[in-house]
Amino acid sequence: MRRSLRFFRSMRFGMILLVLVMALSVVGSLIPQKEQAMTYVRAYGAEKATLLMALGWNDLFHTWYFLALEGLLCINLLLCSILRFPRTVHAGEQLMKTAEDSSTETPCDSAQLQRMKEFLISHGFRKRNAATGEVYTRHFLGFYGSFLTHLSILWVLLFGSLVLMTPQTEDLTVMPGESLVLSDGTRILCESFHIEDGQGKLDYASTLHAISADGKQEKIQEIRVNEPMRFGNYKVYQQTYGTAGRVRIVNHATETEDTLFLTESCFLSIDGQNGVYFEALYPGFVQDDDGNYTLVTNTSGSYPDPVYRIQTIAEGMSTSVLAFPEETLSLGEIDFTFLLPAEYPGLRIKHVSSVLYGALYFGFGLMIAALYLCFFMVPAAVSVREDGYSVVSPKEVQEIREALTIAGKEEEP
Amino acid sequence: MSILFFASLIVYFAAAMVQFSGVSMKKAGLTRAARLLFMVGFALHSGYSIWRGIVAGRVPLANQFEFASGFAWAIVVLGFGLYRKGKAEWTMTAAMPASFLVLSYAAFQPMAIKDLMPALRSTWFVLHIGSAAFSYAAFAISAGLGVGYLLMLRKGKDDSDSRLKQLDYLGYRMVCLGFLLLTVVIFSGAIWAEQAWSSWWSWDPKETWALITWIFYAIYLHQRMRRKWQGKRMAWLSIVAFILVIFTFAGVNLLLPGLHSYATQG
Ligand code: HEM
Repeated sequence: MRRSLRFFRSMRFGMILLVLVMALSVVGSLIPQKEQAMTYVRAYGAEKATLLMALGWNDLFHTWYFLALEGLLCINLLLCSILRFPRTVHAGEQLMKTAEDSSTETPCDSAQLQRMKEFLISHGFRKRNAATGEVYTRHFLGFYGSFLTHLSILWVLLFGSLVLMTPQTEDLTVMPGESLVLSDGTRILCESFHIEDGQGKLDYASTLHAISADGKQEKIQEIRVNEPMRFGNYKVYQQTYGTAGRVRIVNHATETEDTLFLTESCFLSIDGQNGVYFEALYPGFVQDDDGNYTLVTNTSGSYPDPVYRIQTIAEGMSTSVLAFPEETLSLGEIDFTFLLPAEYPGLRIKHVSSVLYGALYFGFGLMIAALYLCFFMVPAAVSVREDGYSVVSPKEVQEIREALTIAGKEEEP
Repeated sequence: MSILFFASLIVYFAAAMVQFSGVSMKKAGLTRAARLLFMVGFALHSGYSIWRGIVAGRVPLANQFEFASGFAWAIVVLGFGLYRKGKAEWTMTAAMPASFLVLSYAAFQPMAIKDLMPALRSTWFVLHIGSAAFSYAAFAISAGLGVGYLLMLRKGKDDSDSRLKQLDYLGYRMVCLGFLLLTVVIFSGAIWAEQAWSSWWSWDPKETWALITWIFYAIYLHQRMRRKWQGKRMAWLSIVAFILVIFTFAGVNLLLPGLHSYATQG
């Protein structure tokens, strides 16, 4: 029992776990993740694809064994940190004792020692009196470096997993001028959207107006990639965009008028028999010398010369037609006027927990600070006696030794 | 203005050659001349980067060419910094060819200056990419020192030799710096990804390989605490680790496209 506990908390076990996580990550990065089964069959053949999916390598980072490895790493880190903590707390005293007990490493005369002491004080060492003389110490906070590093890794793993496991995102599209109502009644109105800014640079920005369910809070913000809107417990991202056709329909018989967005093929009809069948919106066209049109289907996202491909259906006869913006087709008492297309945003709405995110980002900061302590705040003690000095540290402190040698050698001005 | 870029490339090459001659013939005058050349190359390189930054209206680190150029520039800065501290000739012997090789890689990338694409317009851009350049540079120097260590060992030096110990130690210190900066790269990337795409981690190949590299260096740091691993084994580890860095930097863009694939655009 004790032996297995010792193994569980050992650095060797920790390193084995890290190697396994690393090896699986390599596999996960080489095999495309979360694709359809057919993609794997096409890429690797049926037999290998079956094996691959049986092993869960199509979603490797969520397999039970990958998560179990993470869990074991957490346990290993926790045990290792807890069990080493008392030693960390007493490490300063221990180093002082070692310094006091150490024998003189570098003999010096009194002038050299004086220069050295000045050097030590000017380099952040604190003088402490000891039975054997003076001990100058520095960076004892650094003793906590590796403890805090491991603690912060645990922290980030824990809160990072919680954040990743509780994603509450929804992807929605909204037409300019229209609004979305979220489950708690929050309303998000898209006031406008543009792909390019005034100078023709790609911008993808939506102006949103968010209003809380009780109407007491509201916020207007232009969002774009990298600039989401935070409103209540939501974060709203500019995720995608699209271009939709628009048609104004006027019914002279009832003297009514309506404007519709056309995002997919549809049949616009009042009686279900006669009307306009919208097939697609094209970004541009080319017209040859004989007046024939070739429709352009580029994917750059802009619609410089939009054109609607439609069919008019009247009395059982269907005719293919191209309609250009501001062109009106009249079918009986109904006018269909095709308008300039509208660009619209695809928004990602995320439910955020400020506590979880705050904790995660705190972990990030803590780890950076802890690593700094580990690497750049190396604890050291210099025991100075009448005949010389000695340097002690749990780590290599070549720089201090060299600097002290140089400081000692310097001629007095 | 690209003349400045190519001039710096040539000068870095010349510096590396003069340095090799100086070190192998043990001529201090030659190594001094190499450092001077390296400084000239650095001035030309900096001039080019500043010009490019002014023309682009942003920090020139936005695509594979600019990043590689920044990476080479960071190697020179760290090389000089480390040399100033320890006066170890091997820091320069490692930094000179490393900066030349990385800049040569840049020379094969599309050099056109383009607008920053919307996903890159972020306050995190400079921190994330700047720390990546310096982190990779520290790892490059550490690997260079590892090569130096192995070469000196082959020449019959004993591993208790003080110069070898210094190389081993400097290589370790560079890994410490690189590791800290790589942690900054990963975290700033996570925060940025959350701002841009809503998820702080998506197991995108670039992210995954940065993590793989980070774990490898974590293993390096732990293994170094074992006395018998110091020296030769650490030198080998630093070289293997740097191969992972290169794969994260260039290989992923070429072979494993993902969210970061904009980095390959010219
Ligand atoms: C991703 C994982 C890890 C990272 C990034 C990490 C990082 C570090 C760092 C930076 C140091 C200080 C090294 C130096 O100053 O040169 C350290 C020390 C240490 N690590 Fe880890 N570590 C990790 C995982 C582990 C695990 C799983 C164990 C298992 C028990 C472990 C055990 C230790 C021990 C015993 C020390 C020495 C502590 C001391 O000096 O007081 N580490 N670690």
